[in-house]
Amino acid sequence: MSGAVAPLADAGLLGARGSLAAALAIGVAFGWCLERSGLGSARKLVGQFYLTDLAVLKVMFSAIVTAMLGAFWLDLLGVLDLGRVYVPQTWLLPQLVGGAIFGAGLALAGLCPGTSCVAAATGRADGAAVVAGLFAGVLATGAALPSVRAFYESTARGTFTLPDVVRLPYGVVVLAVVVLALGAFAVAERLEAR
Amino acid sequence: MTGGARGAADPRHLLAIAALVLGIGAALTRPAPRTSRPARAPRPASIDIAALAAEISREADHVTALELAEWIRERRPGLRVLDVRSEEEYATYHVPSAERLPLESIATLRPRTGETLVLYSEGGAHAAQAWVLLRAAGFERVYFLRGGIIDWVEDVMSPANPDEHVSALSRYFGGAPRAGGAGKGFGGAVPLPTAGNPRPSAAAVERVRRRGC
Amino acid sequence: MRPMKDPSGPTASCFLFPTGGPPERLGGGIRKQESGRASTPYSDPYLTGVALGLVLLSAYVLVGRGLGATGAFASAAATVADIVSHAQGRGNAYFAEHLTEGGLLGDWIVVEMLGVLLGGWASAALARRLRFAVERGPRVGVGERLAFAVTGGAVMGAGAVLARGCTSGQALTGGALLSVGSWVFVAGAFGAAYAAAYLLRRVWT
Repeated sequence: MSGAVAPLADAGLLGARGSLAAALAIGVAFGWCLERSGLGSARKLVGQFYLTDLAVLKVMFSAIVTAMLGAFWLDLLGVLDLGRVYVPQTWLLPQLVGGAIFGAGLALAGLCPGTSCVAAATGRADGAAVVAGLFAGVLATGAALPSVRAFYESTARGTFTLPDVVRLPYGVVVLAVVVLALGAFAVAERLEAR
Repeated sequence: MTGGARGAADPRHLLAIAALVLGIGAALTRPAPRTSRPARAPRPASIDIAALAAEISREADHVTALELAEWIRERRPGLRVLDVRSEEEYATYHVPSAERLPLESIATLRPRTGETLVLYSEGGAHAAQAWVLLRAAGFERVYFLRGGIIDWVEDVMSPANPDEHVSALSRYFGGAPRAGGAGKGFGGAVPLPTAGNPRPSAAAVERVRRRGC
Repeated sequence: MRPMKDPSGPTASCFLFPTGGPPERLGGGIRKQESGRASTPYSDPYLTGVALGLVLLSAYVLVGRGLGATGAFASAAATVADIVSHAQGRGNAYFAEHLTEGGLLGDWIVVEMLGVLLGGWASAALARRLRFAVERGPRVGVGERLAFAVTGGAVMGAGAVLARGCTSGQALTGGALLSVGSWVFVAGAFGAAYAAAYLLRRVWT
């Protein structure tokens, strides 16, 4: 066992109630950031897909790079044990197909699950409608899931990260993602200036 | 960059430079490949033979299939069911809520507070061996399923002459209690479920507080 | 002589402080401010993104997991299914995963989403962006927009179930942890969104 103090909940420094309190605080900050950046507005959000307003790219990729670098360095410094952070597992086919289905729905709805809640909380009826649709969609799909079980569980790779695929050191992949992000931002600024 | 605050100290430019520096630093400081579950300095395993032998003889090392079924149904907190068989065997059928743990990767498992591990294999031998290894590595609450998945199928999925309670338990997992006295033992009397004979609950039940996006 | 600060850009100060700044340029085709009242411009997306990344990081540090959104919907659906019929609820593997002993309020991700509602509301309240409205494209009526929203939401729900998450859980959380499945999800989602947006031009432009 490493001597890292974090994740605090794992080290026993944060109990069940503490975890839920953290959930609330984290959620508030999450919702705050989404609203502040304007992603609670469907019209602004879909600008991403018409290449007029690339806030989605900027917000998300900035967040990913920040968290990625933070996690890497905290782990390297022995503060956080990254091995104990839950990494979403990989099912290649369901996530590709599910992702595509999700993306199509996103283009139609103009809001994603998180931003739809923000939109609803700020009075946008369309946000509330997306929330309702999400609930129905999840309920129906969950109920029907046993009939597509084989597909749902196909191509499982467990915990499977990009460094595993490209067989490069984790830090090198981190740098590659940073460079990719900065490049994407430069392109985004160009596109928006048109 | 257009559309932004101009001036000497654009915070976004500073952040971009910081990201680049941290990224380059990251690439330089990890010359060795880093696995997705990084192996921290492994604790040397110690075996207190007497203590483990005592646990074995008082049968504190294993659970029966029915006990495991109860634990799963009541969603015992911290329960993790680990299948040590091959990928094909797992894909064909596994205990509902079980995760795969190939024996080769047993060294990468780390103890977590509050977790109860139950290992199982086909008949129990590999799982029992894994039990010894994990106990030696310092895991506290770990058990193996006595009789393996064969017992699971016999006693939970297709129990013979069950009482009310066992019947209900069996049906919870989609099993079919049967009357009749086919004896215990691997004689082909109880076929293992195959891919073409689906059971309703085969996904891993992960700790809800941690997982689920 | 120092160049004049460009008045049309979003500013960092509006991230935390509700006092206004110059009206921002919302980008190419969507210039119109949505309400007549003066509301605070949106914050700079990069800086807000970094802040969001720190929030995500704090989740890793505090509880060893990341953000999520769809899971809350799954828990709600599971609870409803279970109330309707135990066979549909805990007898269904997907729903069974999302039923907690503590009920909905004992589920981390449900509490998180309640926080999201609160945080979103608070931010809008302070920025004077709270208002009842139906955001829609210029060629679409209110009824149509609401129908599209419900339909789009349902489709997203289906996709998120298959993919085990959405933009919060997969793209952000899994993306930052370099999970292959998450990056595959992002590729699929963005690819399909661009294609669908093109086909759905009438809805938004």
